[in-house]
Amino acid sequence: MFFTLLISGLVIGSIYGLIALGYSMIYKSSGLLSFMQGDIMTLGAFLGITFYSYAGLPFPVALLLVVLISIALGFAIEKGVIRPLLNKNTMAIYIVLATIAVSYIVQNGSMLVWGTITLNFPSIFGISTIKVGNISFQPEALMCIVVGFFCMFLLQIFMNKTRIGTSMRAASMDAMAAESCGIDVSLSTGLSWGLSAGLAAIAGMLIGPIYGVYTTLGATIGRKGFSSAVIGGYGNMYGAIVGGILLGLVETFGTSYVSSTYRNLIAYVLLLIFLLLKPTGIFNEKAIRS
Amino acid sequence: MAAMLELKNFEYYYGNIHAVKGIDLYVNEGEMVTLIGANGAGKTTTLQTISGLTSPRGVRGEIWFDGKRIDKKKGNKITAMGLLHVLEGRHVFPQLTVEENLKMGSYLRRDGEGIKKDFQKVYDLFPRLLERKTQAAGTLSGGEQQMLAIGRAMMAAPKMIVLDEPSLGLAPIVVKGIFEAIKEINKRGTTILFVEQNSKIALATADRGYVMQTGEIVLTDSCANLAANEEVKKAYLGG
Ligand SMILES: Nc1ncnc2c1ncn2[C@@H]1O[C@H](COP(=O)(O)OP(=O)(O)OP(=O)(O)O)[C@@H](O)[C@H]1O
Ligand SMILES: [Mg+2]
Repeated sequence: MFFTLLISGLVIGSIYGLIALGYSMIYKSSGLLSFMQGDIMTLGAFLGITFYSYAGLPFPVALLLVVLISIALGFAIEKGVIRPLLNKNTMAIYIVLATIAVSYIVQNGSMLVWGTITLNFPSIFGISTIKVGNISFQPEALMCIVVGFFCMFLLQIFMNKTRIGTSMRAASMDAMAAESCGIDVSLSTGLSWGLSAGLAAIAGMLIGPIYGVYTTLGATIGRKGFSSAVIGGYGNMYGAIVGGILLGLVETFGTSYVSSTYRNLIAYVLLLIFLLLKPTGIFNEKAIRS
Repeated sequence: MAAMLELKNFEYYYGNIHAVKGIDLYVNEGEMVTLIGANGAGKTTTLQTISGLTSPRGVRGEIWFDGKRIDKKKGNKITAMGLLHVLEGRHVFPQLTVEENLKMGSYLRRDGEGIKKDFQKVYDLFPRLLERKTQAAGTLSGGEQQMLAIGRAMMAAPKMIVLDEPSLGLAPIVVKGIFEAIKEINKRGTTILFVEQNSKIALATADRGYVMQTGEIVLTDSCANLAANEEVKKAYLGG
């Protein structure tokens, strides 16, 4: 029982972590909140089914394609919607509203293309369950945890150890100084939005085979990913990962030991508690105006 | 010989605000020139427009650098041409380490060996930075941050550096050190234009100077002559 719960907690936790990382990157690079994360995740899952099941591509190829398409989409949204608004000196709240509009367009667009019924993501591995002792779980669950953690690890390396990643962090700390170092800040911001979308799409492709794929898949998970980001410290990359995994575990164990009626309540009550008592989150991200 | 940097009848508008009202200014290769003036004279506007950091919409007139017209170019492109800007208020990347900040200065370079040598040059000029290599730049003192901002510009191996109020908020003894370093950088061949409110040290450091008042250049001469000028003495040197 414990291990089964642990695995499902880590599965959903790593998904929350991936989504939360996207929120953090967008917040850090543009100082904004994007409501599109969840719906891009749904889109990623739908595209995944299309490439993997309908087009018959191998799963890794389908995953790569979906990620690249989503990065391009995120980049295009920043350039086509966000940047023009920023250039007009539009207040942040209006830009956030624009992301809500885009999120509904993505959601309803998916509905038009793929319909409203839940699609089954065909199994990726030859076997349907792995048995270790008396615990059994889906191989897709293990894949979700492993790939999810690997992507988060890879992103840390990229952001902290590479020249481009460091320049993206620099641009998000001080755009003018970055520009004067020769960094293309506009490109860098676009890339942050692209990577956020890529992370969401990966999350969709990892959770699709476990939860099934339907139009509102990302809506709930997107909100929980947001809660995770706040719990970890909004804008902090480590916070996003830790917050996500923590929320996944608390939610899963809480639901099992207390009651499943509380499943969705847990995340938002926790969100509110953190906002009221510790807005800086676990990793003490700046939350109070100085 | 054409000047390394030249402004021809340069004006700047922030919407309706006419911040700079048609100035001519040049800096020859190897020179060290200062632009002094009171608060709100338009010094920062001028410097940031040279570096492509203001909105190009407000620019009138021409700016030339190294034989090319740059007044409509983006900031990162001007940096790529070899004109580096040390911003007013230092603007180090607070959560990056000292070393990472310097690396960002060499962002556009691909010559690994040259970069290594320039790291050494920066650390030789500012040994403090070497001691604090792995420290987050936001935790440095004001003087150390100014050294880092200058070091970061040096890391681009620039032809020219423009500095905006390098003395801002620093103790006199620290200011002296910073200006000695700037002089040294100039002596090694980098052309320099700097803006200063501390007119005394500015006129003691640079070769030539421009005096700016509410968007206009009211006086230009060698620093020695400016320092001896009665009006300059009265308005900027405290009698
Ligand atoms: N972003 C802006 N929008 C509108 N007006 C501006 C802006 N930046 C500067 N100004 C105005 O332009 C004029 C020149 O400002 P600038 O910052 O260039 O002066 P400065 O000489 O650098 O002053 P200081 O010595 O205080 O730094 C000022 O009147 C200022 O109010
Ligand atoms: Mg100024």
